[in-house]
This record gives sequence, structure tokens and C-alpha cells, in this order.
Amino acid sequence: MRVELTEMLWFEEHVVSLSELAELTGLPAGMLEELVSAGAIEPIDASSPEPRFGAAALSAARHARRLREDFDLDAQALPLVLGLLERIDGLEQQLRSLRARLPGRIR
Amino acid sequence: MKYKDYYAILGLERGASDEDIKKAYRRLARKYHPDVSKEPGAEEKFKEVAEAYQTLKDADKRAAYDQLGAHQPGQDFQPPPDWRAQWQPSAGESFSSEGLDLFDLLERLRGGRGRGGPRVSMPGQDYEIAVPITIADAYQGTEIDLDLNLPDYDAQGQLRRVPHAFKARIPKGASDGQRLRVPGKGGKGFNGGRNGDLYLNISLRPHALYRANGHDLYLDLPLAPWEAVLGTSVQVPTPGGPVRLKVPAVTQAGQHLRLPRRGLPIPKGEYGDLYAVVLIVVPSVVSDRERELYRQLAEETGFEPRAHFSEEGSYAS
Repeated sequence: MRVELTEMLWFEEHVVSLSELAELTGLPAGMLEELVSAGAIEPIDASSPEPRFGAAALSAARHARRLREDFDLDAQALPLVLGLLERIDGLEQQLRSLRARLPGRIR
Repeated sequence: MKYKDYYAILGLERGASDEDIKKAYRRLARKYHPDVSKEPGAEEKFKEVAEAYQTLKDADKRAAYDQLGAHQPGQDFQPPPDWRAQWQPSAGESFSSEGLDLFDLLERLRGGRGRGGPRVSMPGQDYEIAVPITIADAYQGTEIDLDLNLPDYDAQGQLRRVPHAFKARIPKGASDGQRLRVPGKGGKGFNGGRNGDLYLNISLRPHALYRANGHDLYLDLPLAPWEAVLGTSVQVPTPGGPVRLKVPAVTQAGQHLRLPRRGLPIPKGEYGDLYAVVLIVVPSVVSDRERELYRQLAEETGFEPRAHFSEEGSYAS
């Protein structure tokens, strides 16, 4: 069995094009374009003719792929669910941050 | 090969209709899908449910599965020869179900992939795993041993599970909720399809002293009342070693004293900050002499900690 040391990439540092995003997530480019126009996936540079996407978009697109496959979500439902998931992520992040700031003894 | 009761996993009787199967799947997916569920063990449970649904929603696979008969879940069994003859006629002598799991076996039915016909290229699957690390690991970087069992396509385009063992270096600078992508380390692609990626989801284990928020750390700093009033200099632990922290006179409980760049490293060479959160604590045992001094202090002081109570908050006339 091969044992090798593998280097990794920080997910947060990814910047990819729409076609790379399609390749990485397995979502068809047309579907991604719909999600972008619905605002569910946002490019870093919205004004550019060839938009680039960062980690948040990659994460949302991977969610989209799984949700579409596993729940049969259509183009209307998908952006809605992604938006709600993003809000939950944000709230959980705030909660973690508040918990860290509170003195341990009074939690 | 271990038997799996796909009907029981979906909570159904063996004669369930296609509609019942779909409904049961939807209900369980809603409950256990890792993207929407907070149930412990949801991910594992969802995998079972998805596998059961993949099998039972396909008429051929379901018929083949039904003909294997009902066994106890987990019971060892072999598909009988007449079953093989019917469902896997071209597998021939070389076919062995050794090492195959039930799901893989049903993937190989007659007419399935790899039975000749046009070979399509298939991308490998992406994998996502949770990697809990300590704050010390995040500070110094660490190596972890990964031992994964990933489905791969073999040269014939058949799915099989292959053990992958490798070491992964988690660079310093990890923080809670961060993800690492390991390109090409997921399932292998088939016929020119790209290899899948492996995603590591980092979480930080709780620490006795530090609480992490991103790359910042929070540490409780208990002070005696006189230290908080007079100010002092105290030694505090930081991941990089103890440092002296000047506590200014008249420090209040709940204040955050910031130690710049004493938190966790950030990948680009920066560091988060460490915050000492002030707690004012009192001794639980006091001597007679101490009590006498507190009494003198109480008589002497003009401090009114609750002065603002008298102005607002009561509405009775």
C-alpha cells in the first residue's frame, strides 16, 4: 500500500473560473449560470466579463450539486435553499464567535 | 458478503410501491442529509438511506435484490449460482464476489456499466471527511494518517472499494471550520474522467484554556478585586509561550485585554490576536483579619455600584 505525504490547498484560497467551477462540482455550466443570475452563487468580480469565483462560491456550488441530486430540487428551489443554508452558516459563525468572547465560567 | 436490508433502512415492507419508496427516501433525506441535518451520525445514516434508495428505485436492481431473498442484516451470504446465471451471465468463471459489497454487486448487473457498449468517461467521486485537530496542531501544523476506503472505477469501469492510506500534512494556520482540498485524492475517474477531490473539514477540539474564534484566541483572566483596582502585571500563557501582560489600574470585569499577534497563525505569515477576558473573582475563604480590612474598606468607600438603579426601572407611582 502506498504511503505518501500529500500537500493540501486551503479551500479559502481557491479562485476559479465558471468552467473550472463546473468541473470541480460536477454541475453543468448552464445550471451554474442560472444560480449566479439568481444571486445564489456570487463571483468575486461581478463586473468582469469573465467572472472569477472564490471559496464561498465553490462551497455553495458543491452544496447545490448535492442538494439537486439528493432532493431533486429545481432551479427555483435551489437558490432559496442555498440562501437559507448560507444564513444558518452565518448565524452559527456568530454564535461561535460570541461563545468564544464570553467568559468560560458564566456560560 | 454482508446482507443489508434496504427495505428496513427505509422503514418499508418488502412489497412497498415505487411511490412509497420515494416518499420514504424524501422523508429520511430531509431528516439525515448532512447539509440540512444536525442529528449526530446523520452523514453515515444518510449514506445508508441513499444506498437503499439507489437500489430500490431502479427496477432491475430491485428485482435482483429481491431475488437474493431476505436475510438478517449483517448476516454473511453468497448470491446463489442460478442468481448469477440470471443477472451476471457474462461475468463468467473469473467473477468473484470476494471483497465486493452488496451495493457494488448490484452495480454490476447485466446491462450495467462495463458490459461492453460505449465507454463513457466518469469523473471520480469527491469525498469529504471531518478532521478534528487540537489548538497545538493548528499552531504548529501537523501530519495526520488517513485511511480511507474509496469507491473507484477499475479498468472495466466497475465500481469497487479500494483502500487508500496516505499521510496528509495540515499546514499551520488551520482554524475551526476551515477546509482543505486535496486535489485528485478522491475516487479515481474512469476512462479519462478527472479524479475526484478529497475535502478535509477541520474542527478544533475544545481546549482547557483557550477558546478560538477564527484565528483569535480568548483566554479567561481571573483578577482579585485589588488587582483590578490597582493594576498589576501578570504572566499569561499563549501558544507561543508565556508573556507578561500589564493590567491597567481600574480594569473592569468583562473587559478584553488584547495581546496582538499572540493567537493562531494565519497561512500568509500573520497571526491572530489573543484576548484576555477579565473576570473579577473573590476568595471563598477569608481570614478574620481580611474580613476586618474589607469592613474598613466598605466604611471608607464612596463607591456606589448600583447608582443607576434608582433613576430608572420602577414604574409604580
